[in-house]
Amino acid sequence: MSLETAPQISLEEAKALVAALESGDNTTANTILMGIAAPEQKELFAEVGKLTRQLHDSLSSFQLDPKIANLATDDIPDAKERLSYVMSLTEQAANKTMDAVDASLPLADKINSDISSLKPEWDKLMQRQLELGEFKTLCFSVNEFMETAEKDAAQIHLYMTEIMMAQDFQDLTGQVIKRVIELVKEVEDSLIHLLTVFGEPSRESINEVKAAVDNNGVEGPIIDAETREDAVSNQDEVDDLLSSLGF
Amino acid sequence: MKILVVDDFSTMRRIIKNLLRDLGFTNVSEADDGSTALPMLQNGDFDFVVTDWNMPGMQGIDLLREIRKDESLKHMPVMMVTAEAKKEQIVAAAQAGVNGYIVKPFTAATLKGKLEKIFERLE
Repeated sequence: MSLETAPQISLEEAKALVAALESGDNTTANTILMGIAAPEQKELFAEVGKLTRQLHDSLSSFQLDPKIANLATDDIPDAKERLSYVMSLTEQAANKTMDAVDASLPLADKINSDISSLKPEWDKLMQRQLELGEFKTLCFSVNEFMETAEKDAAQIHLYMTEIMMAQDFQDLTGQVIKRVIELVKEVEDSLIHLLTVFGEPSRESINEVKAAVDNNGVEGPIIDAETREDAVSNQDEVDDLLSSLGF
Repeated sequence: MKILVVDDFSTMRRIIKNLLRDLGFTNVSEADDGSTALPMLQNGDFDFVVTDWNMPGMQGIDLLREIRKDESLKHMPVMMVTAEAKKEQIVAAAQAGVNGYIVKPFTAATLKGKLEKIFERLE
């Protein structure tokens, strides 16, 4: 206030006020008071008006920033979809891995138990205690074991490859999570911007809204390939597209 | 046959390396983006490149273009294994001279099939 040195009420006004109150003339006393307060009130109204205008401007400039609107309408729902995609990929990978393990274990156990059942006869053979008849039976058993073990081992190899392939989720989900982290950073920047605008209106000029992250045209895993016109949803479609180009 | 696998995710490099080993290719080196891959290719005697598209540093598509520009590398077969599945990207890769294009997630059988096709054409 500029009135620190000057009194807010003059001596004459004060005397007149005291006189009016002493004489019981309330109407005059009130009129004198109103007269003193009026300039103050005017200043207050002007100040409130100015603040209202600033708030209004800040609000409309904030709404005009298309980045904010996009964050709410597109980016956040998109991030939710991406995270669901991560969840379903990790779930698939876990199931694929456990299915392959479940299928491999009985095969490994079978090889083990087949060897255990061959072992006593085999030991007898090694100690030259096997009769010719028993030897013939052992030959057939060993032959059968070799055939099934060969197949089972090949099958276990396939399951192991499946387990290894299931780990591709780390790459695919990693790419998706990277993008969500970028988005979280953008939201953070926008919130900081919001605080700057409303916390210190005079520094509006520090409009540090970052430009969208330049992704060089790459998009990472397409999470909604089925509903997209501009993307393929499987390897067959890639092959079709390439062969249509004379590939 | 000496093969270079380029991908920024080490898990994916390992998967591709293992699959290649299963197919009988044991001489496999790794790079984590185009800018590390290119000097390796220029200084090494590689016969084949398997590359991702989306990588920090130099992207796979730019690596492919650099290979095709390089007098000593331009005939090197390049296969893309990538999550990038937009049609315009596949077309761009074809125009840049890619020899095969596999979208992730892929199967071991797909990789085997595409490799065989590429080698058939080379013979």
